Amino acid sequence: MRVVTPATIADAAGLLAEPGSRAIAGGTLIQLGWARGEAKPERLVDLSRLGLSTIDVEGSALRIGATTQLAAIERDMRVLDGWPLLAEAIRAVAAAPVRNLATIGGNIAGGVGCLWPALVALGASIEVLASDDVSTRPILDWFNLSPGALLLSIQIRPMPAEARFVTRKTGLRAAFTPSIIGVAAVAPVESGVFGAPIIAAGGGITRPQRLIASEAFLAGKSVDGMDWTAFRAIAAADIATQSDAFRSARYRRSVAANALAAGLGSEAAPPARHPASMRRPVPPGGTHGSITVSHEALAGSWAVRPDISAKVSGKLTYLTDRRSSDMLVGRILRAGIPHALIRSIDTSAAEALAGVVAVVTAADIQGLNAFGIVEPDQPALCFDKVRHAGDPVAAVAAIDAETAARALALIRVDYQPLPLVDSFDAAMAAGAPAIHAGGNLRLELNHRRGDVDAAFARAAHVVEDVYVTPRQMHGFMETEGGAVIPEADGTLTVAVGGQHGSRDRFQLSRILGLPEDRIRVITSPTGGAFGGKDELTVQPAMALLALKTGRPIRLQLDRAESIIAGIRRNPMTIRMKTACDENGMLIAQQVDVTSECGAYASLSPAVLETALEHVAGPYRIDNIVSRGRLAYTNNGVCGAFRGFGANQMVFAIESQMNRLAILAGLDPVEIRRRNLRAPGDPGFFGHPVAPTERLSEMLDQAALNPLWQAPRGRDDKGRLIGTGMALHHQGTGLGSLPPDPGGGRLAFRADGRIEAAFGLDEMGQGVMPAIEAAVSAALGCARSDVLPVVGDTALTPESGSTTAARGTYVIWRTAQEAGKPFAAALCALAAKKLGRPAEQLALAPGGIRDAGSNSGALLMSFAELARGLTEDERPRETLAFHFPTADYKDGNARYVFCFGAAVVRVAVDPVTGMVSVLDLDQHVAAGPIVDPAAYLGQIEGGGGQGLGFTLTEDALMQGGAYVTANLDTYMLPSIRDAPEHMRVTALEDLDDGDPHGPRGVGEIGIGAVTPAIAAAIADAIGHYAAVTPIRPEDILDALAGLADDR
Amino acid sequence: MRSQGLLMIAEWEHPKVCFTVDGEAVTVRGALDRRLVDILREDCGHTGVKRGCDIGRCGACMVLVDGAATNACLLMAFQADGTAITTPAGLDAMPAAQIVREALVEEVAFQCGYCAPGFVMSLTALFLRDEAPAREAILTALEGNICRCTGYHSILRGAERAARKFAALRNGAAEGQTP
Repeated sequence: MRVVTPATIADAAGLLAEPGSRAIAGGTLIQLGWARGEAKPERLVDLSRLGLSTIDVEGSALRIGATTQLAAIERDMRVLDGWPLLAEAIRAVAAAPVRNLATIGGNIAGGVGCLWPALVALGASIEVLASDDVSTRPILDWFNLSPGALLLSIQIRPMPAEARFVTRKTGLRAAFTPSIIGVAAVAPVESGVFGAPIIAAGGGITRPQRLIASEAFLAGKSVDGMDWTAFRAIAAADIATQSDAFRSARYRRSVAANALAAGLGSEAAPPARHPASMRRPVPPGGTHGSITVSHEALAGSWAVRPDISAKVSGKLTYLTDRRSSDMLVGRILRAGIPHALIRSIDTSAAEALAGVVAVVTAADIQGLNAFGIVEPDQPALCFDKVRHAGDPVAAVAAIDAETAARALALIRVDYQPLPLVDSFDAAMAAGAPAIHAGGNLRLELNHRRGDVDAAFARAAHVVEDVYVTPRQMHGFMETEGGAVIPEADGTLTVAVGGQHGSRDRFQLSRILGLPEDRIRVITSPTGGAFGGKDELTVQPAMALLALKTGRPIRLQLDRAESIIAGIRRNPMTIRMKTACDENGMLIAQQVDVTSECGAYASLSPAVLETALEHVAGPYRIDNIVSRGRLAYTNNGVCGAFRGFGANQMVFAIESQMNRLAILAGLDPVEIRRRNLRAPGDPGFFGHPVAPTERLSEMLDQAALNPLWQAPRGRDDKGRLIGTGMALHHQGTGLGSLPPDPGGGRLAFRADGRIEAAFGLDEMGQGVMPAIEAAVSAALGCARSDVLPVVGDTALTPESGSTTAARGTYVIWRTAQEAGKPFAAALCALAAKKLGRPAEQLALAPGGIRDAGSNSGALLMSFAELARGLTEDERPRETLAFHFPTADYKDGNARYVFCFGAAVVRVAVDPVTGMVSVLDLDQHVAAGPIVDPAAYLGQIEGGGGQGLGFTLTEDALMQGGAYVTANLDTYMLPSIRDAPEHMRVTALEDLDDGDPHGPRGVGEIGIGAVTPAIAAAIADAIGHYAAVTPIRPEDILDALAGLADDR
Repeated sequence: MRSQGLLMIAEWEHPKVCFTVDGEAVTVRGALDRRLVDILREDCGHTGVKRGCDIGRCGACMVLVDGAATNACLLMAFQADGTAITTPAGLDAMPAAQIVREALVEEVAFQCGYCAPGFVMSLTALFLRDEAPAREAILTALEGNICRCTGYHSILRGAERAARKFAALRNGAAEGQTP
């Protein structure tokens, strides 16, 4: 592709008339197209030097040059004063930094831009050069011009002095979203009567259009006497649009009509059903000592984590930032076809390409060509068949990224396509093609207790629904990657983001046929994981390339490849039927879960087990029947993700509780209180569980929450307000069946710092500050005396996986148990040097103090203590233990739990059916806070991911391919989707004699969010959403009275 | 006309593009549609500029282009011709950026931190324009930055802390001028 930058309009027009030319201004839309696979043109004609970046007011009209950046227009005072509609429309285009590049002409030229409705409604004209003629014409004429036409300027007449006007873009989230549909209208008003309006729709797949019938309906009518309901019906019928994977045409028409009516008729809004009255909880007397977790409230213990400065300044070297001079760039060839037999792989052309150093295929694998945490069912490189589009088939190492990309295109793989299995039902259908030799049903779990049928027969109230949860994407900001380095001593260093270095090493050893002691795995720092880097990702291909070339390999998946190749949350369909008696006592529960693991098992079986462990929530239910089935499909791969099956099930059971409460005439706290597990009750499988149950206290916190006193009804934006809650508990650790080793090491360094080494990973969650806090607290030293060392099999001992909220406990226990002899050893050393009895000495911030003195004065600094000591003389304590677990082997049962309740206030927009979370309050009981900022961060961050799960996130698949191929359509919550307010409280106390200390809070922040939001929506509009992410169309249907009563 | 146009392409075509990165001149030859993020990371070694989505949707690669926050993955080399680029390393010399960074550090605004340089860039661009931004202006400035770890509130607390630091500086300066 060549780039030419003409200096005159005539030259630009001449170039654009040539075949193979394409105009570019800001280029933001063009690049999106390229990313989606559109071909690049032969010649890019850069319009930036034509002098068309101007804003002028000529007479009373606005004239904007076509290459003017949107940011310049939205900040222009003349525009803000005279054409506020345009400024408002621009603010809804993309995001601020993109508007620094994107131009008004570019927005128009593609025909899909979000500004179209506003410009049409403003009666804009365009000045164009076409066929050697410059002409000015109505903007909609753009579609009638030849492709080589050059847009010169946009001219906009003054807005009418008295008018009603509206511009509104509806998307998939609150901001920075593709347009689902946009509308705009300018309706002059004279003496209380509408003049001739212009009403327009467009944006995204909706072709820009005037709504002629709607205009005619409005014209000449009295503003006050307007029948906005009739107008809405006319407008909805007036709009030509389509459906896509995200929203239906029907939804687009409804939203457009609602937006026009709401915007033009200030009093108008669509009808809202009167919600069933949910009772408010009665506040209890006491608070049990929950504290607010915030910087202000915990100023005394607030600490700044050791890695934050380097992160904020951009100086932290992530594993994907590692570079060396002889490093090659790796790339992985993905199948691109979801289900096929491999007939042959021909890499000869790729190998012959200059700059390619090696190509690897399955033939290069010396060991077992398989991996998988639960069982090795996933090939490192496919050889006989591919089972999903992201399956790796080959990999190349080249001198640079461009060469590597060219080499991939030269690898010829001959596939024999197999029928696609794209859902659980398709996998289980008679005659479905077997994805693995053992068949498509990967796991079935059944559990039964009591007499369920008899209990349902005597039920006073029954709620039954089918809860659907999304294929959520982890969305870690650092995609999978790092560096793999063959060392001079014959060992291999694998520095790739992960969550359990020693297990990665084990799996790599098995693939490579290399002893584990020849492999060093570095897994920290990692730029986010959330479960998505628990399984091996790109390590096998990189290691094979490094071994074959003998050179360091770097590789980082681009986002599009990360989406194709990476792990997702298991989507679940949960049919749940729950019964209570006339007093609201739960008597029966029937649960049937179907889920898919995608092409390989990874941790999906354990996820399903965890979901089924939570079918009763934290409640006593005597009669339960549950079934769970997990099937292989060709839809990518699923596995571990924060919540790990529990949050899916908590959504279902907690929604059932809220709905039964209404039927039983109880408030949401009371029905839970009546059914709550009592401290000392056995766990779900009848197994023993750890002390310190705090469910009742969490209910009290929920009841005390002031959000219940907030008014319902409509807010000043016409949105419907509601409040809801949910309760949950979640186990920590891997459970009673898998090995779950813990441990760590304290060592006194030559420089006097106390090294605290753990084979845990810093993925952002705060292992480093937790180590500083726990070790310094146990020893009595300062946080700065402690040097955390993590995530490196050469430097750190086995601590187990950094998953399942287990790290905090591992660190704390190591600090407690290794800390005592370690501190004693330091005091003994100091005693020798100081000539005083060791029992008179104690550790203090910075060194050794007199144990009997409160002054804090140091007798000797740690550095002085370390001086002159040999390595053997310097104390070192290593601890190894098994994570606390129940002695129960008939199923995988959790032992130590966290407890939490969420209270949420939402605003439901009756125009769009979209939901904003106003308040997200999370009450947590997880033992003592180790590090306040990390604790707060885990709960708030889990809340944010729960919000996305509930409202915006789903990795949509069609035909075995992701529709949501990048972050332009996969909607991670933006900052405008965040709750307006978040509050976190912590209940820190433990039962007397509880030996398990602080519980990890990595997972307790996500589970209650979804059912609490659903409950708040129901409180606002009387409708319970069972499908997540909650569909705005369902909300609109409910408001219109079209949905089934739920 | 047409042949004349073709003849002139040679003159219009960029033989190279030149811009500055943190004050140092950079010349790019060859494929002029290469994206700035790749040039900065791979040619210039500025790994503080992070790759996140490659399509301008996450803000991890945010840089300043003539002072305006811009996604480096959206900018092709020829579009950077003649501009001044500031990377996270270049912010070291900017007092406003130091204030933003300090405030974010004090609030422990980030977890994994991969998005942090981009957020700092967007906030610095904001404070360079507006030292006392309202919450709404902060939200607008950060709409193009995705953080997956925090739920955003720690970042908002950091931004508002930065605003208080700027206010304190202004007040301090004003007091200093008072006789």
